[in-house]
Amino acid sequence: MSGIGLELAGVSAAYRGTTVLHEVDLTVTRGELLVVLGPSGAGKSTLLRVVAGLQPAITGRVRIGDRDVTTLRPGRRNVSMVFQSYALFPHLTVRDNITFGLEVRDTPRAVARDRAAAAAAVVGCAHLLDRRPGQLSGGERQRVALARAMVREPDLFLLDEPLSNLDQELRTETRGELKALHLRLGVTTVHVTHDQTEALVLADRIAVMRAGRLEQVGTPDQIWRTPATLFVARFVGSPPMNVLPADGPLRPAGMPVLPAGARIGFRPEAVRVGQDGTDVTVERVDVVGEDAYAYLRLAGGDRIAVRLPAAGRPAVGTTVRCTVAWADTHVFDEAGHRTVLG
Amino acid sequence: MTRDRGRRQLAMMLAPYLLGLTVLVLAPFAVTVVLAFTEYDLIRPPRWIGTDNFTALAEDPIFRTALVNSLLFAAVAVPLRLTIALSLALLLHRRSRFAGTARTAAVLPSAVPEIAYGLLWLWLLNPLYGPISQVLRAGGQNGLTVFGRTPPQWLTDPVDARAAIILMSLFTIGETFVILLAVRRSLPPDVYELAALEDATGWDVLRRITWPLMRPVLVLLLIRDAILSLQFSFLPALVVTDGGPPPYATTYIPLFSYRTAFEYLRYGYAAAATAVMLALTVAAVALQWRLLRRHEALRDR
Repeated sequence: MSGIGLELAGVSAAYRGTTVLHEVDLTVTRGELLVVLGPSGAGKSTLLRVVAGLQPAITGRVRIGDRDVTTLRPGRRNVSMVFQSYALFPHLTVRDNITFGLEVRDTPRAVARDRAAAAAAVVGCAHLLDRRPGQLSGGERQRVALARAMVREPDLFLLDEPLSNLDQELRTETRGELKALHLRLGVTTVHVTHDQTEALVLADRIAVMRAGRLEQVGTPDQIWRTPATLFVARFVGSPPMNVLPADGPLRPAGMPVLPAGARIGFRPEAVRVGQDGTDVTVERVDVVGEDAYAYLRLAGGDRIAVRLPAAGRPAVGTTVRCTVAWADTHVFDEAGHRTVLG
Repeated sequence: MTRDRGRRQLAMMLAPYLLGLTVLVLAPFAVTVVLAFTEYDLIRPPRWIGTDNFTALAEDPIFRTALVNSLLFAAVAVPLRLTIALSLALLLHRRSRFAGTARTAAVLPSAVPEIAYGLLWLWLLNPLYGPISQVLRAGGQNGLTVFGRTPPQWLTDPVDARAAIILMSLFTIGETFVILLAVRRSLPPDVYELAALEDATGWDVLRRITWPLMRPVLVLLLIRDAILSLQFSFLPALVVTDGGPPPYATTYIPLFSYRTAFEYLRYGYAAAATAVMLALTVAAVALQWRLLRRHEALRDR
């Protein structure tokens, strides 16, 4: 893994007069799988479309490998895209769907068919080649779309929420296959999703987006352990990270004096419920198999979520005590940026 | 029980339409077919003469001219009309500054009442002061075009007159255009984006995506236009060219039937001509249908 797979430098884009990407800088290493994560409307798909050339960048440059593609039309960028809808041609067989890109580029028909068969075999849809999209299930269509994307051996894969139309079980399964496929092919990939689990599982690095800007780019570990902003901290993790004023009733043991307006955050797993610490009222308890999620109310009215073993869960309405270790605590300044205490 | 109720509702809802169909279409159709085997002048009662009318039609040079004119008109006008409507729809389906105006302009001629449309063209085609001839003569001398040739004599030359009738039919494509526009807009945009990523040329996109996706509708419109084309020719021929230039350059079957019935009062004979036109229409539609089915079967193999 070396060299640049994709580079965006100061890229902005607008949709119907509204700026939806604000001077985004992003570098993806060759062979890397980058997941763009964010809520709907964050500009993830726009980012992908600008890279693909389906939408123009109003400022900045886009480079794929060592080529500046900013002004190239989509067909000249050598990228493949899997659309959320899969965008299969309903009137063509699976084979003709896969060979479409090769045929319009004048690849001999026999060669195109061989490569289609090979690509179909890789994603496990070789037995579907003579069917039409209308006869396929959602998962099968997704495979065909993948086969079509990889058959041309592009420099860059763009996947726009490729798993969002699959049911839960199939999504988990396909997620694993996507990861394996990426390891096998080694093509630089940008994968857009709003599903944090998908991002954490798949990504070499995650780029968290919000309102047309990148909040943080880092490995899944970095995103999880050292979220750069409150937004990242709360967007990744379920239930989201608890955030309280630093001068509130719950003070992690060993917390130094923090600047005014600072906020502390800690994940539901970090809270210890027991005999000592701050008094809290148990408002609600959700049990999910072995785990229980308790929602606790502090004296000042703030609520926190806590994850604990289902066997040791407190009863609703009772008052218990809880503590948080300083080591598990994140500190954010007034503007929501991570504060590193020296 | 529910099924009975459903059927009763269905019958009630269909009743007005079926009634209208029977009284206004099926009954006149039956009467026409019966009259085709009689001699009838609206004064004396109809007289049964068997197939004499059809034998006479087969030997009637005017009818033969009308038949050839009609077929020629359909063969040229229908493909042209569809091609123009499809081209306009593909050209104007996007949002752009002038597309709205252009779309309105494409539909507008179809909204003009037929008689007014005919009279308008009578003026447009006038050899002396008609704007079309004036434009064609622009830059030329002695009433000739720039290339030194006589401009088309729309109303007096047999070939030019047939061309004029076809020309008139090419602007009343509003309905077909609107349908094709709606169909093109309903096609999924991401399929086109995918084609762009694959660097498909405009021709590839038209041939491999747009055409196959729109084809079912195009087939229906083709059949519809073929059926209607025999009627399109009636009013222009009556109003603009009056069935001429002599002897019968723009006499089509509808005009032939009309004249035979209402000017020469030969009802039975006119009914026979109409029946022939009907049979031809059915045959043409059946032929198109079969050809397309065969084409489809070949393609799907």
